[in-house]
Amino acid sequence: MTAFRNSFPLRAYFFGLIGLLYLPILILFLFSLNSSTFLSFPLQGLTFRWYEQLFDSDALLRSARNSLMVALGSSSAATLLGTMVGVLMLRYQFRAKGLLVAMAVLPLIVPYIVLAVALLLLFSVLNVDRSLLTVGVAHTVVALPYVLLIVGSRLAGFEANVEEAAMDLGADYPTTLRRIVLPMIAPAMVSAWLTAFTVSFDEFALALFLAGTQPTFPVYLYGQLRFASRLPIMIALAVLMMVGTLALVLIAERVRRVD
Amino acid sequence: MKPKRFTLYLAQAVLVTAALILTACGGQPADVPPGELTGTLSVLDWAGYDAEDFWIDFKNTYPNVTVNFEIGISDADIYAKMAAGNQADVFHPYTGWLQFYVDEGLVDEIDTSKLTNWDKVPEHFKQIGQFNGKQYFIPWDWGFTSVLYRKDMVPEGVDSWAALMDPAYAGHISMWDDGPAAVTISSYVHGYDETAITDEQLAAIQEEWIAQRDLNLFYWAGEPELVEGMSSGDLWVAYAWQGAYATLLGSGVPVAYANPKEGRNSWVGVYGIRKGTENLDLALKFLDAKLAEATGNNVVNLFYYGHSNQDVMSGITDEALKEAFSIDDPSVLETTNFTPNLTAEQRDAWTAMWAEVKAAP
Amino acid sequence: MDRRTTFWFLYIPPLVWLGAFFLIPLALMFAYSFRPDMRGDFFGGWQPSLDQYSKLASTSSYWRLLGVSGLTALIIALSAVILSYPIAYFLAFYGRQRAAFYLVLLLVPFWTSYLLRVMAWKIMLGTEGVINSFLSYLNLINEPLTFLLYNRSAVVLTLIYVWIPFATLPILAALQRIDTSLFEAAADLGARPFHQFLRVTLPLSLPGVFAAFFMVFIPTVGEYVTPLLVGGSRGSLYGNIIQDFFTKAANWPFGSAMSMVMLAATLVLVAFATRLINMRDLLE
Repeated sequence: MTAFRNSFPLRAYFFGLIGLLYLPILILFLFSLNSSTFLSFPLQGLTFRWYEQLFDSDALLRSARNSLMVALGSSSAATLLGTMVGVLMLRYQFRAKGLLVAMAVLPLIVPYIVLAVALLLLFSVLNVDRSLLTVGVAHTVVALPYVLLIVGSRLAGFEANVEEAAMDLGADYPTTLRRIVLPMIAPAMVSAWLTAFTVSFDEFALALFLAGTQPTFPVYLYGQLRFASRLPIMIALAVLMMVGTLALVLIAERVRRVD
Repeated sequence: MKPKRFTLYLAQAVLVTAALILTACGGQPADVPPGELTGTLSVLDWAGYDAEDFWIDFKNTYPNVTVNFEIGISDADIYAKMAAGNQADVFHPYTGWLQFYVDEGLVDEIDTSKLTNWDKVPEHFKQIGQFNGKQYFIPWDWGFTSVLYRKDMVPEGVDSWAALMDPAYAGHISMWDDGPAAVTISSYVHGYDETAITDEQLAAIQEEWIAQRDLNLFYWAGEPELVEGMSSGDLWVAYAWQGAYATLLGSGVPVAYANPKEGRNSWVGVYGIRKGTENLDLALKFLDAKLAEATGNNVVNLFYYGHSNQDVMSGITDEALKEAFSIDDPSVLETTNFTPNLTAEQRDAWTAMWAEVKAAP
Repeated sequence: MDRRTTFWFLYIPPLVWLGAFFLIPLALMFAYSFRPDMRGDFFGGWQPSLDQYSKLASTSSYWRLLGVSGLTALIIALSAVILSYPIAYFLAFYGRQRAAFYLVLLLVPFWTSYLLRVMAWKIMLGTEGVINSFLSYLNLINEPLTFLLYNRSAVVLTLIYVWIPFATLPILAALQRIDTSLFEAAADLGARPFHQFLRVTLPLSLPGVFAAFFMVFIPTVGEYVTPLLVGGSRGSLYGNIIQDFFTKAANWPFGSAMSMVMLAATLVLVAFATRLINMRDLLE
């Protein structure tokens, strides 16, 4: 079934790369326990106090919550809109198709800073206050192309005649979409949603320009980078977020295996 | 009644009612006790200043007023936002960047009689915020810029701004990422008139900083980068504000803050009120509270920046801070150069020069 | 509801969203690039002029930098795709039930702040960092290596690291939809595993590979954060200059002009590349 009989090199490569990817995380973890505020070796001493101080840090926690909300909203919107464009692109013929697809893909080409200022201009003209909503709107725009590429790639992979068969059997198109197409592209949609979530949660350039009085976590972090004394607390939160996500994933995996 | 007449009477009734309502709540009456004053104030400020420590007097006096902060990441960012129509009531620019607000009508004159702490501000600070004899800005934080250096790596000491371009320190220099600052340094070193830099001088300055780029390890954008670099020994010589100096002194890193023969530089941060704000009264109260002692003490002790309230500065006891502000050495202030205000043309030319330095092959 | 009505349901929302929050803002910015300076309101008080574009045209260092940024992005994208292909392959064919778990494992570091991860790389590459400490511990070096950080190579390394998980996703999606019976057919016809890969897997996964390449290449051309943090004095890319004009120089008209030029250049590049790829499809 697979192209290579011996999977060891591949396996070694995968886990080796994972190790490399996690190395900076490990370093961050070490510094979150460091009693000095300077980010250099050797470590001065071990302490948990940054983690303690973290929970007193309202603004920091709020920024993390803000990032979560924006990411959830924008990734869901992007997945929805991107899938719509994908279906249109691969199952319909219409005159303005090229234009729509171009519009959906073009955000990839626009540097975030450019889009950030462009949206700032728009919101200034419309007299709309900057807020988490404006950040979410921007994130949806930039995540859309990723969704389109991922879901579209999957949609392109199977023929439309499965759908035709369903319709021959009497199903109308929305039902066909729902019961035939959607299940088949569901894994791709999940993959796309995860991508969009990652894009949004981490995103800095757009959030910096478009977040009003409520910063997202990266924006808050960037602001605090000015003050070395605040850095260990930020790192502590980042490590906690990561550990939390990892824990969730492990639990989900356990649950799945029990099934 | 005929429809037209009815409409007329209705309109009159509405107008009268509206007038009555408006008069009833026309602005905040002066006799509302501070503890019960409500409203919302919006402030455009630099990151970190939204922390309560830096407006603690206002918070304690008017606990029911909501203060919303919007963050600007640089003077240029703050100016661009205000010029583009940002609705913040109060904003925080620094010397050098004040002229445009006045020229473009973005700020209103401030009625200093409403500021109870105004008499604690020394005269030379008051003048920083004055244009054409009118007070447009309230000075708040201030500090020095000079050359910070590692005593152990540079035992001969530093006595001139030219140290930032000295090949002896190649790979261990860090300059602040700012074009006007670069022009300032060059004009100190070569004796140019900062307020009247010619095109030829600017071209020479550009060449100079392109050459300096090969000696420069990285341009720092925020004090933590600078502090890290100095403490790890990567940096020996750097353009720095005294906040970094005080931080490093406090951690035991062997650093010194130069007194260059051309004189140190000094900058002042000010607060201005946006022209056309509806929260003028709240804004004035906010600025007044900014000048108060508890807030001032926090600026000095948490940021290691100076504060414009005389009493705050004379109350400093920490040795490292006194050293950083050269409180015991008044001769330093005499040779200090204060940042003049840029014109719009200078701003465009000098920032473009810096961009070309960074883009040069 | 029939197919036609469904069409409008699918068509209007994305169209409106993209029109309002993508096309119109860019059009506004295009208009902005014709402003002579920052004075005056949005729509009034200024005469359109080509000042910004002529200033841009006469500064050769910016054009050169645009080229360098493109080249750097190319290197990063190619490397990221090549390095992530085996990961996608592993996940698609060896993951089995654990594939989703491994995938999330891959993505989880990216739910940590990008800024902090780049700072962590700074620590790894720095003179007192992990690599240097390790090498001097092994007595392989006497002085710390200074060339690891604050240059363009550091930017390239860090960005490849950042992009690998993203590049994996489209390739994985493409690999997953390959009909596995094709492998059996190839094996039955006597093809050895490596030939199966070259003749069956790789060509069928190419759309995903191209998608991954562009997904990395294009945003990287405008990248400015990593060069700022690890690039040092000489590491500035075109995106840094644009960012400087917006945030340090308060010169939005010039920044807008530079952005428009970059957009145009990227569009041309993409159009050209798409043509190339279409020809490839035609050849097969």
